[in-house]
Amino acid sequence: MKLAVPTFLRTTTFKLALLYSAMFAAFSGALLIYLYYSTVYYIRAEADRRMDLEFEQLGNAYFTGGMERLSQSVLERMTRNGSTFYYYLEDSSGRKIVGHFLRMPDWNPELDVQTVYFDVNQAEPDGTEVVHPMAGRIVRLRDNGGALLVAFDTAQQTAIVGRIQRAIFIAAPIGLVLSLLGGLVISRGAARRADELAHTAEAVMGGELGRRVPVRGSGDEFDRLGQRINAMLDQLEKLIESTRNTGNAIAHDLRSPLSRLRNRLEIALSEPMTRESAEATLGETVEEVDRVLDTFNAILRLARLEAGAEGERVRMDVSELAEELAELFEPACDEADLTFQSQIARHLTVLGDRDLIGQALSNLLDNAVKYTPKGGTIRLTVARGPDGTVDLTVLDTGPGIPAGSRERVVQRFQRMDSARTQPGSGLGLALVDSVAEMHGGKLILADGSGPPEAPGLKATLRLSRT
Amino acid sequence: MIAMTAEENAMRVLVIEDDAEMARFIEKVLVEAGHSVDTAADGERGLEKARLEDFDAMVVDRMLPEKDGLTLVREFRDAGGTTPALFLSALGDVQNKVQGLKAGAEDYLAKPFAPAELAARVEALGRRQPAQEAPVTVLKAGDLEMNLLTRKVTRAGQKIDLQPREFRLLEYLMRHAGQVVTRTMLLEKVWDYNFDPQTNVIDVHVSRLRAKIDKEFEEPLLHTVRGAGYRLQG
Repeated sequence: MKLAVPTFLRTTTFKLALLYSAMFAAFSGALLIYLYYSTVYYIRAEADRRMDLEFEQLGNAYFTGGMERLSQSVLERMTRNGSTFYYYLEDSSGRKIVGHFLRMPDWNPELDVQTVYFDVNQAEPDGTEVVHPMAGRIVRLRDNGGALLVAFDTAQQTAIVGRIQRAIFIAAPIGLVLSLLGGLVISRGAARRADELAHTAEAVMGGELGRRVPVRGSGDEFDRLGQRINAMLDQLEKLIESTRNTGNAIAHDLRSPLSRLRNRLEIALSEPMTRESAEATLGETVEEVDRVLDTFNAILRLARLEAGAEGERVRMDVSELAEELAELFEPACDEADLTFQSQIARHLTVLGDRDLIGQALSNLLDNAVKYTPKGGTIRLTVARGPDGTVDLTVLDTGPGIPAGSRERVVQRFQRMDSARTQPGSGLGLALVDSVAEMHGGKLILADGSGPPEAPGLKATLRLSRT
Repeated sequence: MIAMTAEENAMRVLVIEDDAEMARFIEKVLVEAGHSVDTAADGERGLEKARLEDFDAMVVDRMLPEKDGLTLVREFRDAGGTTPALFLSALGDVQNKVQGLKAGAEDYLAKPFAPAELAARVEALGRRQPAQEAPVTVLKAGDLEMNLLTRKVTRAGQKIDLQPREFRLLEYLMRHAGQVVTRTMLLEKVWDYNFDPQTNVIDVHVSRLRAKIDKEFEEPLLHTVRGAGYRLQG
């Protein structure tokens, strides 16, 4: 049986962590190696430079004063405090003239210059022996046959290099472990956010349409992705809601007129039919069907509006539109024995759809004309509202809408039961509210300034100017 | 030239509609209005007929088999066809209307529609062609005269004062003198509204206009056509 790779090892978290630590290890390894070699190189180069200087000075002594001057010079250096060099000078017969050591280390006298490495055992005061690894250079003296050794104790350098090596051996595994952990932490963070997305998607699929991806406000890629996904979910929820509402509304608002229609036809069928009665029944039927179609259209329109599928927003002058509608409605008010007044601030613009706003405002005016008793007053005002809004207000002296019912009348696909006896689909205010919402505003219903028994209605269509 | 008898108003109309019942209904409405009708049940055949024969107007359904209405009208226009077209569609959005007009149709009517609305609009289509050839400066209907340049309106030589909107309303009625003009047509063409203000606002405006042009005269010119709209007597 083939062993399954543990799930953990296949996760992006693990792969990312591995990648992070590999990258970190490679980087720090390269750094340590560079550090090691550059240190070693520097120490060697420094020693070489100083030895070159020694030979130069001793060479000067030899060339100016011969063997005697040289041996004197070597002696001086040997007794000088703080010198880090060791010396040994022998004559052509190989006898020691002066020096730290007992004899010359093994070397090849055929060569003019030779680098040698050798160990020197030194007895410490406590009786132990310490081995000093030495590095030196032996130069044959020209015209004489003697030889001069200058050497230095490499113990210090070796110690430095050794310490660096030890540091590297200790640091590397620790660094590797740390980088792996760091990688895990970093990628776990990313993985957790991805998991959050997955969980949200699962929850939404499971029917929790209100679930949203948590957004931290850090503005990183995950936040931006989350915001997009949330916006998408908002839109989807709206669409689903709208579809659901449309279905309900069709059931709700169309069933009763269709039932009435059916009853009427049943009755007509059961009664003896004359040409006149048939004409009357069919005429009524056509009217009823028209009403059903009107309601149906209104429902579809609202649904499309709610789903944001209707309307084209351009910069438009609402003052101008209101002036036109005032002019359009004024004669109708006159005819219905109503006083029409308007006060319209000039050139207020919004980003909106002219037809939709026109429809919304004429719905308000139409309502006012329908519900205001003879002798009443309708007043249209257009003015700046708070926070960069424009308020289109229609005030009438009709019965008004009781505070408790206001929320209900603007709800889509619902209306006051008393309104069912009035002509129209009853979706008028809901449409106004929808249009307002689409334009970043709202429909505000309030009492007018009339007496308590008939306060009138003050309906404000508030639109955002941008 | 403006005065026309019913005989002269008769047009040959091509109806392109795939729903047989709807096609029969349209045909009946148009025949009753005094026109002769030819029908086509799909886009391909409709386009062929429109190209081969000389019609005064065509009524085109938006959604058709073989070739949809938009494409049909666009291709017909691209090929140089000038017969005015009216779109008939269940897609009644403003955007859909705009699409239809952009494709080259002269008018757009959403289903369902009142028979009178269709008859009136088809009739209005027929008048478009001559108007484009020679721009008129004076409109006449009976003894009513409108000068489009001086914006002066007289009836039997008597000056009539009109508000700007009334002037435009009368101008539209005079351009379609002898034809039935519906309330929706007035809203669309005179007020440029694609929405329904519901209250009988148009009726009130028309009756005000009527008071100005008919009141002092024996013979009324502006008639209400029951269940349809208005007609200015030619």
